[in-house]
Amino acid sequence: MKIPYKWLREFVDLRLSPVEAADRLLNAGIEVAAVTPLAPDVRGVVVGEIEAIERELGESHGHRLLLCRVSTGSQTFSVVSGAPNTKVGVRAAFAPPGAVLPGDRRVETATIRGVPSQGMLCSERELGIGPEHEAGILVLDGDAPLGRDLVAHLGLDDHVLEVEITPNRPDCLSVLGVARELGALTGARLRRPKTVLTESGARARALVRVRIEAPDLCHRFTARVLSGVTVGPSPAWLQARLRAVGLRPISTVVDVTNYVLWELGHPLHAFDYDTVTDATIVVRRARAGESFTTLDGQTRALDDSMLVIADPRRAIGIAGVMGGANTEVTDATTHVLLESAWFDPVSIRRTARTLGLSTDAAYRFERGADIEALVDASARAAQLIAELAGGAVARGLVDAYPRRRKPRRIRLRMARVARVLGVAPPQAKARAILAGLGLPTRQKGTALEVDVPSFRRDLAIEDDLVEEIIRVWGYDKLPSTLPASAVDVVKHPASLRQAETVRRALVGAGLAEAITHAFSDPARAALLRAPGAPEPLRLVNPLSQDASLLRSHPLEGVLAAVAVNVRRQQPDVAVFEICKTYEAGEGETGAREPRWAAIALTGARAEHAWPTADARADVYDAKGLGEHVLDALGVGRLRPGGPGRLAGFEPDSHGTLATDGGALAAEFGEVAARVREAFGIDVPVFAAAVSLDVAAAAPQPPLRYQALPRFPAVQRDLAFVLGADQPLTAAELEAKLVEAAGPLLRRVTLFDVFRFPDGRRSLAWRLTFQAEDRTLTDDEVNAVQARVTEALKGTFGVTLRSA
Amino acid sequence: MGHPSVDAITQEAREAVAAAQSAAELEQVRVRFLGRQGVLTQLLRSLGTLAPEERPRVGAAANAAKRELEALLDGRLDQALEAERGARRARARLDLTLPGRRPPRGALHPLTRVHDEIVAIFAGLGFSVAEGPEVETDAYNFEALNIPRDHPARDMQDTFYLSESTLLRTHTSPVQIRTMLVQKPPVRIIVPGKVFRRDVADMSHSPMFHQVEGLAVDRAITMGDLKGTLELFAREMFGSKSRTRFRPSFFPFTEPSAEVDVLCFVCQGAGCRLCKQGGWLEILGSGMVHPNVLRNVGYDPEEVTGWAFGMGIERIAILKYGIDDLRLFFDNDLRFLRQFA
Repeated sequence: MKIPYKWLREFVDLRLSPVEAADRLLNAGIEVAAVTPLAPDVRGVVVGEIEAIERELGESHGHRLLLCRVSTGSQTFSVVSGAPNTKVGVRAAFAPPGAVLPGDRRVETATIRGVPSQGMLCSERELGIGPEHEAGILVLDGDAPLGRDLVAHLGLDDHVLEVEITPNRPDCLSVLGVARELGALTGARLRRPKTVLTESGARARALVRVRIEAPDLCHRFTARVLSGVTVGPSPAWLQARLRAVGLRPISTVVDVTNYVLWELGHPLHAFDYDTVTDATIVVRRARAGESFTTLDGQTRALDDSMLVIADPRRAIGIAGVMGGANTEVTDATTHVLLESAWFDPVSIRRTARTLGLSTDAAYRFERGADIEALVDASARAAQLIAELAGGAVARGLVDAYPRRRKPRRIRLRMARVARVLGVAPPQAKARAILAGLGLPTRQKGTALEVDVPSFRRDLAIEDDLVEEIIRVWGYDKLPSTLPASAVDVVKHPASLRQAETVRRALVGAGLAEAITHAFSDPARAALLRAPGAPEPLRLVNPLSQDASLLRSHPLEGVLAAVAVNVRRQQPDVAVFEICKTYEAGEGETGAREPRWAAIALTGARAEHAWPTADARADVYDAKGLGEHVLDALGVGRLRPGGPGRLAGFEPDSHGTLATDGGALAAEFGEVAARVREAFGIDVPVFAAAVSLDVAAAAPQPPLRYQALPRFPAVQRDLAFVLGADQPLTAAELEAKLVEAAGPLLRRVTLFDVFRFPDGRRSLAWRLTFQAEDRTLTDDEVNAVQARVTEALKGTFGVTLRSA
Repeated sequence: MGHPSVDAITQEAREAVAAAQSAAELEQVRVRFLGRQGVLTQLLRSLGTLAPEERPRVGAAANAAKRELEALLDGRLDQALEAERGARRARARLDLTLPGRRPPRGALHPLTRVHDEIVAIFAGLGFSVAEGPEVETDAYNFEALNIPRDHPARDMQDTFYLSESTLLRTHTSPVQIRTMLVQKPPVRIIVPGKVFRRDVADMSHSPMFHQVEGLAVDRAITMGDLKGTLELFAREMFGSKSRTRFRPSFFPFTEPSAEVDVLCFVCQGAGCRLCKQGGWLEILGSGMVHPNVLRNVGYDPEEVTGWAFGMGIERIAILKYGIDDLRLFFDNDLRFLRQFA
């Protein structure tokens, strides 16, 4: 909200600069986003008089160029002007050499047609204060003091404070409200605007009837009537004020209601009295299906939760939100019905939201208007309308006030102040602070009793007053202490420690950590949804269609990260993310949030450089990283799991890892081409998703030391050849091998795999044998080797490959 | 002198050693004289064929010759090996300016780094981490925190809804509620996590970001404790010279409320682009837990008091690393991420 500083000073004497005032407000909780000069870019322009026109210098662009003698009172200048309104004796805006015009345009002595021109006479547009240029230089009143700074002369030497009022302080949504704060902060006395209302003629009560049919939503409604009004444009000062705060001047009556809104904070509405049927106001709920055309020309569908101002025939305004076209004040209006009322904040808020109508009035009513001050606002507006548009104010105020405000008192203990803050001012100081804010106090027993005025609806409990005291006294008075030492051991959740472990493992393995949005695009989500998987969770009010779901596939984020990098000419990507997916579930939130480590790889395994082969990442890298993560989490004993549950992998390149107990702990594979293409990736991507929930649930055998072997180990390499049509897996063979070898086998490593041209496969294992109690003999090892060979031959029909 | 044949053999061996050009040739000399079939070995083995009175003299001479030869060979062998290693190295001609073979370098996300730092600072002050769901109920996210439906305070946090009563949490404060509901005071927790606001992504907005909130509730917790704790935090996070400012603000769940700024570390308060000429940088919101919130979790506000604060991890990272666009955090461009390796 924009507050011109000079306007503030009408209500409170301040010996502060605008910036200092802003600082005081900031330190009392009223943020001032900016303090800007009203005429920001003009410096050094003064009032000058054309004393004489010395000669003509010819034509330029159809204008005569004249050499003038310009006086600023103390000095004279030789100035060339081409303006059509250049006349001797005229006082005008003059920029002498050294003056600065908008756009940082410095005025210098220039040579025009061989004659030096010392500065320039300026148009409105050149000064940046209006659009006018063709008419010529900005001509000022004949009594404008020569040499006076133009900005000051035009009243543009003001600053505007851009204040940001928190939702609890509707009382500060006005010039008077901010002035009241500054008064409390500086000790200066508040001067309320003087309203001298001259009433005459008929009594308002005889001219208008008010009936409140929804007293729950309208606690008070007042009306005044003005007659003999002549509607026209507002005077310059009023227009200037409205423009300075960002409002568009319309006509006297409307401008006055806006002016009073800004000044006192209470929204008003003016009806054309003659358009109100039977001069009767009915405040009622809208009828279901009722439609209404608001002032902006829009026709709106109302419902019975909304409050309208009506006459006996029809609605004439949406209460507290916007008036109607049918009763609008126009240039033809001569009688004005002035509304000043109080509406229920919740109802106004709902109505404004439902209709998508945010107005200055609704903004204030939904935060809570001052039910007592609305009388002053009505009088102030009536007085200003009478002054500016003529006419007579009918005697009295029609005041329907079915729900009278109950006075509120709060008990305040100074001990509570100290208890909450750790410090407290002397009681007298506290009382002075509260008094400055308009909160009278009196001693009652050991405590104070504080009267809460109608404009401070936010003050409800004792701690609210504690805040008022420290806010004004100053947060710099708070001591800097530390809470007494804790009693409990610091304990972080297992999930946090688990995530740290995964990060350490994967960063150590050379991957970069990604963090991505949790939202998902329906088209992508459909591609990534396994048959029979539950529907993804859907946002009621997404920002956009392509972010309307919550992520249901753990790889969505890392695939997006791969896509960004591939698109940006970084073909080698190895990223991971610790993320959640979201699915419908039991419980109060209606959702389950499984946790994952997601990994995606593409391009070269390592940066291509002289000492590294240009190896491409493949599905075994993805698998290996999945195993690495599980290993780091203490889930070392893994075996191939059953069929995967996640969609999105190429069917022939989709594997799983299961824990010892059989739980599916990870899935890995090559990302299906149509999935990655949906992300805009045109190169193979390999990925793994490790379930952190499954890993956390896997049994973790306690870490125990095992004695180092004391006797030498024996190594043997065995290679087996599998027929081209044998659908055997390495895991099946190895399992049999381990079983057949018995307890002397300490380690088994598949170290070589290749395929003959005819399709047969060779798998070679290195076996390490060792006994705990003796050195193994060749005969012993030979016997085991023979047993293993026979078992594999006999079980699978494979052959031993001779060296 | 020794034995004439021993002397001759010794002399011959010395010459052979001198003539040898390489370790391999030296090895040949060793075999020739000292090997199993070597000349000296044979001589020593044939001592028994000599006259008994000759044996000690010849034996002593032969043994002496053997020792001399062994020493000579060892010395020359060392030299030869050394020379050969040198020659090999010279041939290999290592170019040590070639780049080293580095293991691939991973990188923690900058938000994780800042998160870890914040957690570590507060762990040092006795705060445990608490976590909670990202899909929340309206009751925990708003109502329990003194933000009723249709209250303008809800405008401060534009919300994504999943249904009438469930939403994406707009702050991690509901975890404070969940914690207090199951734990008696004293409570001292910090709550990091993802939060969501319905803001279109741009340089300074993101529909998802990260927060860390803190909560301390005990019998005698004051706003002075809040101030002291957060000042300490700012010094740990931004350096021992950092200065903080507390100013009043409004949050429905705290009373009194405070916003905390740090003195701009670029301009030291003089005003610059980073602080938008204000001289101060807003880092967090905080305050004394509102009595209604304490009551909502079954605590008695006359018995206990508490304070809470909440900060955006992105905000801290932006200030700490000079990052100028919030979107960089979620693009995951490797050229960005690797700067934080």
